[in-house]
Amino acid sequence: MSGRYRRLMTRQFTRLWTAGRLTIAQFRDQKVRLSLAVLGVTLAVLAITLLAGAGVGVLETGEQQFQTADRDLWVTSGDTRLTTAGGGGFENTLYDSRNLSAEMESHDGVALAAPLAFETVYVSTDGSDDFQTFVGTGIPGSGSSIQVTDGNALEGDPYYANGTYDGEMTREVLIDAETARSLGVSVGDTVNIGGSLAAARENEFTVVGISPTFERMLGTPTVTMPLSELHQVTGNTRTEPATFLAITVEDDARIEAVKQDLAEEYPEYEIRSNQEQLEAVLQEQVVLLAAGGTLVVVAIGAGVALTFSLLSLVIYQQRPTFAALTVQGVSPPLLLMTVIGQGLLIGLLGGGLGILLTPPAVVALNRLATAVVGFDGLIQTAPWIYALALAIAMGIGSVAAVVAGWRVSQTPPLEVLS
Amino acid sequence: MAGSVASFDEASSSVVVSATDVTKRYTRGTEPGVLGRLLGRQSPPTVCAVDSASLEVRTEEIVGLAGPSGSGKSTLLHLLAGLERPTDGTVTFRGTDLASLSRRERTRHRLEHIGIVFQQFHLLDSLSARANVALPLVETGVGKRERRRRATDLLERVGLGDRITHRPRELSGGEQQRVAIARALITDPELVIADEPTGELDTEAGRTVLQEFERVAENRAVVLASHDRETLELCDRLLRLRDGSVVDQSPPGGSQ
Repeated sequence: MSGRYRRLMTRQFTRLWTAGRLTIAQFRDQKVRLSLAVLGVTLAVLAITLLAGAGVGVLETGEQQFQTADRDLWVTSGDTRLTTAGGGGFENTLYDSRNLSAEMESHDGVALAAPLAFETVYVSTDGSDDFQTFVGTGIPGSGSSIQVTDGNALEGDPYYANGTYDGEMTREVLIDAETARSLGVSVGDTVNIGGSLAAARENEFTVVGISPTFERMLGTPTVTMPLSELHQVTGNTRTEPATFLAITVEDDARIEAVKQDLAEEYPEYEIRSNQEQLEAVLQEQVVLLAAGGTLVVVAIGAGVALTFSLLSLVIYQQRPTFAALTVQGVSPPLLLMTVIGQGLLIGLLGGGLGILLTPPAVVALNRLATAVVGFDGLIQTAPWIYALALAIAMGIGSVAAVVAGWRVSQTPPLEVLS
Repeated sequence: MAGSVASFDEASSSVVVSATDVTKRYTRGTEPGVLGRLLGRQSPPTVCAVDSASLEVRTEEIVGLAGPSGSGKSTLLHLLAGLERPTDGTVTFRGTDLASLSRRERTRHRLEHIGIVFQQFHLLDSLSARANVALPLVETGVGKRERRRRATDLLERVGLGDRITHRPRELSGGEQQRVAIARALITDPELVIADEPTGELDTEAGRTVLQEFERVAENRAVVLASHDRETLELCDRLLRLRDGSVVDQSPPGGSQ
């Protein structure tokens, strides 16, 4: 019995070995066609790794931005939607933000409630009429969470003067490095800023420092000034709109409990934790996410279709020979193993090549993303993405090979030979 | 002559394969399903490819099958090789009714007992001549070294000792057919069947291949189907087929 078992195992091993050799021989013989199939799988893998990497990058960048902001809760009114108008930014749907923040700040457990507004503004240098649009960010005070890399932080917001707007305007602005490059200005230079061209011509600001904080947060060049001065130059002092209220809870307070209390007291507003706020922002981009997901599915489908059609072509050419061998007594499993071997090899080579090409593609796309949208490291890969991509590549090759092999095995050999 | 047993009268030779009143019918199209029958669809017509043919083939005998295209030569070869089951009648190989074997057993039977040569050579372009010849041995569990040795021996026997590492596309048609003959002989079969083995070859290459068949028949039975007169002259006995029936059997130089 054991001798018979050994013979059986030897035969199976010989079959497997021969199928492997046949696979490699076929590959050498059909270089162009099979290389095209490998290329198809490589492109599918690249699409998967880069799109998944972009997803991971967006999540991680978002989390990082919220951590940098050092806030606990975010209050919004309605959707926190990105607007494409001008230089971009969020829609400001939270009105009377000054009074609301004062009310919320008086609530138990709330240490600080600060309104943040993002408005599109026109900016020029030295009173010229060559205006560019940027996102103007309004902040209520200087705040330690605003990082300044050159020059000084903002002094504060004396102009608001408890809602009278009759204090002294500081006419100070922080800009990021990209804005400085774009305008050709540095610390100490003067720029004109306004919500309209007319307002911009009338309002001069001095660049007091370079800050990357809001450029990183929004992914676009920004100019940052006291909130009241932003409202003034954009003509919004009456409604005092803000994009969010950012709340910091007291050290001994539980974030969840404060959130619950505020939600009960202000049911008309959305109050979210950092994570929830990030998710809310992402959910607003559902079309973008769906498009990304669709691209992955299409890439996989295209990979399967391409591999299947090219493999089928190769196998179609080999059908008479396979049929002749079957007639001769060579068992169909050996030939099927050869076909599957070709599929697996296509998957392995395509997957490996795709994974090898991913890091340089990520570097190139990140450079592009930094130049276009301002975010650093927008595409981030992880080991699980590579493992997933390789598994999918092998899957693509196997599915294509099994389907092609099945079709071959279903065709009676005499039908092929006659 | 249909229904008669065509036998070789050399008493010392044993019968390798025999067909007795073998008929093979094919259906043109598919049988109607339940719905089709309800709608009055008729059963498709059948065509009789071989009609009550009988023959015996003995060791060291070369039997030729002659006849026009569509006369049933190839179908009769397929029946003798166990590639198809007869609709009626029996095909026995060394006393075993091939119809009693499962598909898998028939595949194994062909591997161990039958060598087949086609008009087209059907060699794998990606493999060398030796690897092509050795391939069927993979199924028999013979070790790699032994496979290579046997394949090399056979290629030397068919005059291709200096071509063992060549790919099929590097060989002439005659050389490729000799590789195919070597592949058919690698498992040392008792019966070799060949369907138009010289059909793709020029006269000179065809002659070389026929010489191989003469040598092949030294210790085994050979059945050849051909249109080619020179090929058929090689045979010890000739069966002429028309419309699936054996209409005449004679030595090659006999009645046409």
